[in-house]
Amino acid sequence: MKKMLFLMIAVLLLATAPAMAQIKIGLLSELSGPTSDVGRPYAEGIKACVEYLNKQGGVAGQPIELLQVDYAYNVQQAIAAYNRFKGQGMVALQGWGTADTEALVRFVARDEMPTFSASYSAHLTDPKDAPYNFFVAADYSTQARAALDYLKTNWAEQRAPKLALVYPNHPYGLAPIPAIKAYAQELGYELAGEENVGLGDMDATSQLLRLQRLEPDYTWVGGTISSTAVILKDAQKIGLKTKFITNIWGNDEQLLRLAGSAANGHYGLQTSVVYGADVPGMKIIEELTGGKPQMTHYIRGFASMYVMAEALRIAAEKGPLTGPTIKAAAETLRDFNPLGLTPPISFFPDDHRPNMTAYIYRLYEDRMELAAVPTLERKPEWLGH
Amino acid sequence: MRGKCGLFHTSYAQEARFFQTGFLKFSLGLFFIALLCTPLYLSNYQLSMLNMINIAVIGAVALNLLTGCCGQISLGHGAFIGVGAYATGLCSLAGWPFIPALLFGGLVTALVGMIFGVPSLRLKGIYLAIATLAAQLILSYVFMHWESMTGGSVGLGLDAPAICGLALDSDAKMFYLTLTVAVFSVLLVSNILRTRHGRAFVAIRDFHQSAESVGVNLFSYKLQAFAVSSFLAGISGGLWAHYTMYITPEQFDILLSIRYLAMIIIGGMGSVLGSIFGAVFVTLLPEGLGALAQWAGAFFPNISTYFLAMREGIFGLILVLFLIFEPEGLVHRWRLIKAYWKLYPFAY
Repeated sequence: MKKMLFLMIAVLLLATAPAMAQIKIGLLSELSGPTSDVGRPYAEGIKACVEYLNKQGGVAGQPIELLQVDYAYNVQQAIAAYNRFKGQGMVALQGWGTADTEALVRFVARDEMPTFSASYSAHLTDPKDAPYNFFVAADYSTQARAALDYLKTNWAEQRAPKLALVYPNHPYGLAPIPAIKAYAQELGYELAGEENVGLGDMDATSQLLRLQRLEPDYTWVGGTISSTAVILKDAQKIGLKTKFITNIWGNDEQLLRLAGSAANGHYGLQTSVVYGADVPGMKIIEELTGGKPQMTHYIRGFASMYVMAEALRIAAEKGPLTGPTIKAAAETLRDFNPLGLTPPISFFPDDHRPNMTAYIYRLYEDRMELAAVPTLERKPEWLGH
Repeated sequence: MRGKCGLFHTSYAQEARFFQTGFLKFSLGLFFIALLCTPLYLSNYQLSMLNMINIAVIGAVALNLLTGCCGQISLGHGAFIGVGAYATGLCSLAGWPFIPALLFGGLVTALVGMIFGVPSLRLKGIYLAIATLAAQLILSYVFMHWESMTGGSVGLGLDAPAICGLALDSDAKMFYLTLTVAVFSVLLVSNILRTRHGRAFVAIRDFHQSAESVGVNLFSYKLQAFAVSSFLAGISGGLWAHYTMYITPEQFDILLSIRYLAMIIIGGMGSVLGSIFGAVFVTLLPEGLGALAQWAGAFFPNISTYFLAMREGIFGLILVLFLIFEPEGLVHRWRLIKAYWKLYPFAY
């Protein structure tokens, strides 16, 4: 009991750091849990952006202070950290994955806390359900639709292209599946089949052998890096002739290392440029990182913070920084260009889809080549789905 | 009892009493008064921790009744908590008042727990663990794929609970609710342990054949243990659902089951007080370590990221150290401390 008391006192003392005229942003980062391989560069990107902004004199003359916590993809710790940040005077939150973002949807709505996350689930874009949630990438469903659109446009044969789906039996993998199926049908794809490959699976041969008999032309892969690497390598091993389209968390520079030549020629969806791209923001990132290549997650983290800072700046110009003013400021953004790192961002009071654009990269063992930047129409019936 | 230099029981009723001494009653009373006043002097963050502790206490006490007292290991309690969360949530969405919804969620979970408890008649130890693991996996699958009910991967959004028109929409208000339910759960389990049922559970744990030969119906009592334990787990889940106001299948995975097992092992198997200690410890430890990491990060800003990430490793290490050095749990250490102070300063 004494130990407890001591711990609680320690927490209490540390939680009440002296207050200064700073803009406090909470950062829920994932540094040690199951998604830490991508969570770490994302958090580094956010921190780098704050460093850059503070060097430029902060936002509206005030420096940004990041309150960082590693919540290890644990919902309970995320909620605890959120409440702690709130007590420390946080004005906006940079969140991370599906688990924490969704667990906090109602909290941030109640507390009017603008939240930018890296969980791009489509249902977070509907302000009716998630009024204070934002993100700076096209949602999972939109990305997938953009890919289907692009592949169908470039389809030369007479017959309908065959599409197969491979995804984990996990909320994140399941999220875009209904949208993909519906849109594929609309575009005239033939749905050949679907298989489950778990996020932690080390072998996908049996699933891919079943797919091989169905001869899909394209195969959607919704997973994370490790499962995607397994799928690509096993497909190469059994000689499966299909073009894989991997979703945003299933392809990055790490995948190229893990899959090697098995990645050649497949497609990867992204919503930001890759390191070394010729855009203004990359000069800043290259300077900050001393030319050391960073993963795309880093760049998205940077962009997420940059867009949030723009909303903070607009809100600060008009008056005090509060949840509603920051939200309102974010909702005035129209084709805001975050230094070319992502497609232009717009938020509307009734539509939080940042844009309808995906970057489609061709994957090779040594590089990611931009193949196309399809932009879809902002259809109201897609909002939230 | 007055005038005696110690505690001497002269009847079984005396021995089974909750509060053995006036001092205990007094100090517990003070503790509760202090607890009831916490919203006055604690911050929102600290209150949210207390809420999570209260919810964890209910789950840990529930699991301890089944695993610690009745000896039926369960790796499915994370999912049982999920069943309670979804059942309560769905009832609330259907317009039920909060209390009936919470109780109904508990009853549904009790039913589900009993169904998955059936194999316990034939299976023991590690085999039962695997059977309950199956429950965890099956239920996780149901949460994710029964989309019309559970919302599937999108999850279920709920509102803060309202009791008689009073919306419990802040941590302070929620604290009184979770505390009340936690106290009721602790009293319920403590009382069960003092009855024929509780003694039957312990007899089954100690040796099932002896228990059966003295007239304990194994099947019936094992199922009762599963039912009561799942009921409380469901209540804990219902509270959690309404506390977070958003439930997704991810929250009730195998890691949650393991977390609860860790709580009762750290706290002390078979002890109600131990479950409380375990729940407090496991809930606060990551926060304490996080604070420590933050503090260390202030001195080494460049590698603060690594300090933060080390926390999980330290958490694991502490669990291992506990198993080696404190195998009987925190409650054992507590008893030693009490015994030490009882005789202080004349230890011999």
